[in-house]
Amino acid sequence: MPFKSEKRDSSEALVLEWKMQVKHYVLMLDKQRCVGCQICTVACPKAAITANKQPKIVGQAAKKPRIDIDQAKCNFCGVCDVFCPYGAVKVTVNGSHELSVISKESYPQLTRDITVDTRKCDKECTACEAACPLKLIKISKVGFDGKPVQDVFKLSPTGKRRVQVTVDIAKEYCPTCRACEYKCGPGAVTIKKAYEGKIKIKKQKCPEGCHDCADVCPITGTLTIGSDGKVHLNDQTCSFCGACANVCPEPQALTLERTKVLHSQVHSGAWNKTLERITSPDYAAKEFTAQAAQIRRKIVDKRFIVEEMKKNERTRID
Amino acid sequence: MNAQESTKPQELRVGVFVCHCGLNIAGTVDVHAVSEYAKTLPDVVFVKENRYTCADPGQEEIRKAIQTQNLNRIVVAACSPRMHEATFRRTVAEAGLNSFLYEMANIREFASWCHQNDPAAATERAKDAVRMAVAKVRLMQPLQTIEVPVTNKALVVGGGIAGINAALDLAEQGYKVYMLENSQSIGGHMAALDKTFPTLDCSICIEGPKMVDCARHPNITIFANSELVKCDGYVGNFKVKIRKNPRYVIAEKCTGCGECKDACPIEYPNEWDLNLGTRKAISVPFDQTVPLVYSINKDYCIECFKCIDVCGARDAIDFDQQPEEVEIDVGAIVVSTGFDIYLPYDMPLLGYGKYPNVVTSMEFERLILAAGPTGGKVIRQSDGQKPRRIAFIQCVGSRDKEHYPYCSNYCCMYTLKHVVQLKEKYKENIEVYVFYMDIRSPSKGYEEFYDRARERSVNFIRGRVSRIDEDPATHNLTVHSEDSLLGQPIEIEADMVVLATASIPKKGSEEVARILNLSRDADGFFMEAHPKLKPLDAPTDGIFFAGACAGLKDIPYSVSQGSGAASRAATVISKPKWKIEPIISIVDEEKCKRCGICVSKCPYGAIRQEKGQPATVITASCHGCGTCVAECPSHAITQMHFTDAQILAQIKAALQDKPEEKILAFLCNWCSYAGADLAGTSRCDYPASVRAIRVMCSGRVSREFILEALRLGAGAVLVGACHLPYDCHYINGNYKMKDRTDALKATLTKLGLSPERFRVEYVSAAEGIHYAEVIKEIDGQRRALGKEKIQTENVKLKPFLENMLKHK
Repeated sequence: MPFKSEKRDSSEALVLEWKMQVKHYVLMLDKQRCVGCQICTVACPKAAITANKQPKIVGQAAKKPRIDIDQAKCNFCGVCDVFCPYGAVKVTVNGSHELSVISKESYPQLTRDITVDTRKCDKECTACEAACPLKLIKISKVGFDGKPVQDVFKLSPTGKRRVQVTVDIAKEYCPTCRACEYKCGPGAVTIKKAYEGKIKIKKQKCPEGCHDCADVCPITGTLTIGSDGKVHLNDQTCSFCGACANVCPEPQALTLERTKVLHSQVHSGAWNKTLERITSPDYAAKEFTAQAAQIRRKIVDKRFIVEEMKKNERTRID
Repeated sequence: MNAQESTKPQELRVGVFVCHCGLNIAGTVDVHAVSEYAKTLPDVVFVKENRYTCADPGQEEIRKAIQTQNLNRIVVAACSPRMHEATFRRTVAEAGLNSFLYEMANIREFASWCHQNDPAAATERAKDAVRMAVAKVRLMQPLQTIEVPVTNKALVVGGGIAGINAALDLAEQGYKVYMLENSQSIGGHMAALDKTFPTLDCSICIEGPKMVDCARHPNITIFANSELVKCDGYVGNFKVKIRKNPRYVIAEKCTGCGECKDACPIEYPNEWDLNLGTRKAISVPFDQTVPLVYSINKDYCIECFKCIDVCGARDAIDFDQQPEEVEIDVGAIVVSTGFDIYLPYDMPLLGYGKYPNVVTSMEFERLILAAGPTGGKVIRQSDGQKPRRIAFIQCVGSRDKEHYPYCSNYCCMYTLKHVVQLKEKYKENIEVYVFYMDIRSPSKGYEEFYDRARERSVNFIRGRVSRIDEDPATHNLTVHSEDSLLGQPIEIEADMVVLATASIPKKGSEEVARILNLSRDADGFFMEAHPKLKPLDAPTDGIFFAGACAGLKDIPYSVSQGSGAASRAATVISKPKWKIEPIISIVDEEKCKRCGICVSKCPYGAIRQEKGQPATVITASCHGCGTCVAECPSHAITQMHFTDAQILAQIKAALQDKPEEKILAFLCNWCSYAGADLAGTSRCDYPASVRAIRVMCSGRVSREFILEALRLGAGAVLVGACHLPYDCHYINGNYKMKDRTDALKATLTKLGLSPERFRVEYVSAAEGIHYAEVIKEIDGQRRALGKEKIQTENVKLKPFLENMLKHK
């Protein structure tokens, strides 16, 4: 069987494959989860991914941009998989999802810092589940007898106290919008955003009556149309993915700049370049300075420890 | 030119020697009539017939006649000058006569062999050929050969097993050798094989040491990952430009440790493994790579620079490396560019590329190889299981008129090797079927090897496979064929099918042919100077072939060709001086109008002209195409041995009788003359009305020749040239001819010439049949026009033509 490079596009998924006698690479873009944002298009080191605007039909809501991957350029490195805020891309090698760009530290892992302290949970509350715009949260409640409880409010106060709450968040698909955190009364959920940034909307340029950005924004309540017919931003729940910027018909009306990516630490040229593209050269420079400072600190620490050890040794010999 | 004056007063004594060539000529042409006719020609004082003029007694007769009869011009009416011109030049020189005072009349390829059905016409044509040769020889002048210094270095293009042997042999003889290899490692196809037939010894184990010897030899410099850009010069003095493509790794600093490979996160299909497995973005194609230098594939690299980190102080990685061009001087070139394997995507009935368990033999080779992607396990792509029934199909693409008509030479043997390997590895656990047309096992130990396969109960089925079906659930295959020995259709179910696909000319050999001025045959392999007697020589002096690039060969044959080509190359580079033919151009300073046209038309930049000074030809750079002669508006340039006077005399002689029934063809020596020769050699019958004049290049055919031919009333005029754009042996002489003839044709048509009477045709050395068809077509057109029409046209045209010729 000769080497086969295949591309299949259906309404559910875009699949790229490399089939070899001993290796099988698959890249699958889940179109249900994909929101047509900017992240993979800027993160891809081979510039193989493009977001194509869909033609607008008057009277209908704007459609999310379609992500297309150039078969000739893609090398299945999996960077799109790592950085997709919605977990829409999966790259597997012989069925395994372990990416060598992560294990060889060419790219960092995107950190989704989500903690839920269920001890603080109000036993009757399901606010987070309701708040999640992507329906990624599942709350399950178990009574003292280990059986799932449906209606907590029917229980006696003692019974209520003994109910155990678990909050399951499908983290790999979570864009860390923090919508659930804001709705959580007792403050059980704490989330750090994976991407931070700034969105500027120029009111003069924002075309009145256009709500394309609000149509494509996957997180309800982030972009709303005000009484003036213009778009208003609630950047507390914004994931800074850039789907809105992709569809905005007016140049300069909506500008997005990411300022930070939450990730594990690596030392890699490819990541530096990707970071420059995902954020901006200025912010990337800031991070590089911070990284350098960290390395210096480590070196100093190491020397300090070595000297301490030597001193200890000497005292022991003495 | 002083020589010209000194010989002029001398009385001309022409000797004509008519060869029978056994019955090759005498069987068709009435040679006695030809020799009787020759006696009537002016200045002919001696005529002799010979059974074989090229044999020693025949040559001796020429030598004797020169001395006893005091002959000073010689005509040999025999075979093509491309065959024996050099032989008789030597003969003439041995008798003390200048070797350029002799001319050949081609009465074999151009008469007896191509007009076998019409002996009378063939005899007529032979007589005319002799008349034309006598007319030319009467105007010939003695010339001195030119000696040029020789660079005693050689270049080997292509580092497969043939190239490796050529390089090692030359280096051992003490010559400096440059070795050019396109891919990242030398070794060629042999390095990718598992075992070699019939001895079943490990391929890389025997080739590997030779590859290393090449790299270590002080006389050999390897340019791997490089390509041929340009080649100027001539035998003994080639100037070759090579581009070293960037590897992004500094060869001198790379230690080949492979730490970078382990750090690299990116993989891509390994073309060395026929894409069955992967390699890293920084890697070597295989472990035994020579030279052992890693390369980065920037198409896949994501530039994480992990390799730079691990390389550390060795500092061998340079992402900014640029292509580098090197120019080298060599005296001889050995071409050993090898072959490619055909992938039968265009044979849908075999399902290659569609069914996962159909592989080619080369892919099978990588599967069974212990160092291959599967670690030597033969497994199916569909489920990773070991197949229990394997069918081998022979002649996929080979011996197939719709694909490659030739036999690929070694497929039978490698399939036998595969079946023996399988049977010896898996014993009774495997069933093997071989579908074949004929098993060809002609070399030493090969037939015994075939026996060995038969003894191991391999099922040989003689028949051509019609189609292969797949069961979509199990991915098992059904082979449909005919058993031609039983005369019944047969169906075999197999777990895996191996296709012995054709070997085909190397991709890019067209480019190599263009750069080195080589010809390719109808199948696309390089063409030898002579298939029997010069199998290693290219038609261009100083260039030699080794291995499969000039026709498919197995390993032992390629190895011996490598050594053979090395020894042929040594015949050039071992000499301090090389003689080149003095057929160069000379400028008459008095006639030169200092216009500079010749400077712009010379394909080699061999003419210089300072302001106000007459043009001068740089002798060593002039290749003798004669384009400048045809272009010179003031007739100031002469091509030695092909002077205007000589060619005009040939035209006149050719059109002496019944000119309107003749087709006058000007044929360039390298392509169209060779094509016409091939038409004769292949016994293609075509009308005998054609009279051919040989020129070195179609660029030499000046307007004057065509006008003169039409003035004399020729029925039709043909100019034969090498194919555009790159086939011309003088770079672009054919383009110069095209520009000239396009303009002339327009003028002549306007003056009332039927357009079919003047034709330019491109014929390669491999297109004998094409040449015959062209002549048939022109002859048909000439007949259709009719003698009267041509004559009336001629009468009408004559004053214009005379006027045009006078102006010149």
